[in-house]
Amino acid sequence: MELTQLPMVVFTVFAQMSVGAFLVLGVIQVFGSLRHSSATVDRLADPALYAIGPTLILGLMASMLHMHDVTHVLNVIRHVGSSWLSREILAGTAFAGLGFLFAAAQWFKWGTPRFRQILAAVTALVGVGLVYVMSMIYYSLKAVPSWNTWFTPVQFALTTILLGSLAVGAAMLSAIMFRRHTLERGGKIFGARTDPDASQGEEVTALVSSSLKGIALTAIIAGGLLLVLLPLHLAQLAGLGPAGVVPLQAYTGAKLVIRLGLVVVGTALLGVFTYLLADRGRNPRPLAVVATMAFALVLVAEFMGRTQFYESMMRVGI
Amino acid sequence: MLGFHFDATACNGCKACQIACKDKHDSPIGVNWRRVVEYGGGTWATSGNVTTPNVFSYYTSIACNHCENPVCVQVCPTTAMTQREDGTVFVDQDKCVGCRYCEWACPYSAPQFNVETGHMSKCDLCKDYRDQDQDPACVAACPVRALDWGPIEELREKYGDENAIEPLPDPSITRPNLVITPHRHAQASGFGTGAIMNPEEI
Repeated sequence: MELTQLPMVVFTVFAQMSVGAFLVLGVIQVFGSLRHSSATVDRLADPALYAIGPTLILGLMASMLHMHDVTHVLNVIRHVGSSWLSREILAGTAFAGLGFLFAAAQWFKWGTPRFRQILAAVTALVGVGLVYVMSMIYYSLKAVPSWNTWFTPVQFALTTILLGSLAVGAAMLSAIMFRRHTLERGGKIFGARTDPDASQGEEVTALVSSSLKGIALTAIIAGGLLLVLLPLHLAQLAGLGPAGVVPLQAYTGAKLVIRLGLVVVGTALLGVFTYLLADRGRNPRPLAVVATMAFALVLVAEFMGRTQFYESMMRVGI
Repeated sequence: MLGFHFDATACNGCKACQIACKDKHDSPIGVNWRRVVEYGGGTWATSGNVTTPNVFSYYTSIACNHCENPVCVQVCPTTAMTQREDGTVFVDQDKCVGCRYCEWACPYSAPQFNVETGHMSKCDLCKDYRDQDQDPACVAACPVRALDWGPIEELREKYGDENAIEPLPDPSITRPNLVITPHRHAQASGFGTGAIMNPEEI
């Protein structure tokens, strides 16, 4: 891979992960509120929500690195009527802005819960729009047949779901471990709102357990879809003839095997251990380790996959 | 709408057009707004002890085609890529952010990145020369008069409307304002049996 592609790899993966995490947290909020108090759900979901911010900022900062003249950077929204790149920058900024507004509203408890729900729903919609617009940047290039295919939006969506769900799983358990660790040492937890009591802790464990099951299932389905759909894409590339040779080379060899292997191992690990451990005991440490490992393995796999995507760029013509 | 005509039956691949362009615009190493592509291939037939080769090779001199459907203009996020009323496409250096998206979109490699300025650059059909009633540098430099330029309607009337020749892409992508007088061995875009012989030069 060329170094010049690295900013775009980092930006697309991180932005999609942020959108995915926001969506998964939304689902946890909706389903969690059916059986649990909103305080319990917030206690679980909010730390993960606050982790999205830095991820998205990192991605947006990386995206700036592929502009070669930053003094002209404000021009990039001028062509929103025609250029998908302008639309991506606007959608990315809108998602980041609404996300921060929502995170702040959650933290300071601004407005009514209903207002915050509507804000979250709008942010989620803009996030989905962002992933769509991102994929159109590549899909709309008729001169690049390896990108001008259904697989471009599909793989961006799969990254969103796969990394979003695993990131939330890892973040939730990390937050629980952090709280336990702080309390064990007699310290105070930042933000008085997160102060736990024993009865609520019980409830949180139940919610963690059901959330983690949902996350494991989602990740296995998304990973499985990747394993099924990627070969279809490769078959399509093979059908391109000479224009498909370079793209196909990007998806061959040890790199492809390792990438898909990491997805299988990561999602299977989480699936098996969630099934075995989620309902048992109060010690979340093994699950926290597994959830973090699964997230790390799949994150590496997704970075590899995105570099393959950029390497598969082959323009027709001269 | 202005465009170019290229006569492949006259071109001998000397690359004077490419050098004249580079000289006139003082473009840095790696930036070649006009390039001469050699396309070649062939086969052989064996009859008894006699093997007869059947090979071909021809040149295509290509710059920006100032397309009717300029994808570079459409994808540019900054509106730096601009089409003039005469159809010619140029980069407004005061707006370009150097994201290189137009480079991905154009199947003729017309927009090229200038490392020195951090902006894109491309052929503007020598606007300054045209303003002084001069021919573009490449057209004026060709020793065999293989290049011509002018309003595309006039060029098509004079030379026909062929532009789907290997190794050029399917013209339906950008609808180039380009007319080619094909070489006798010319192969249709998308149906070529040969390959570009000088990829490192273009």
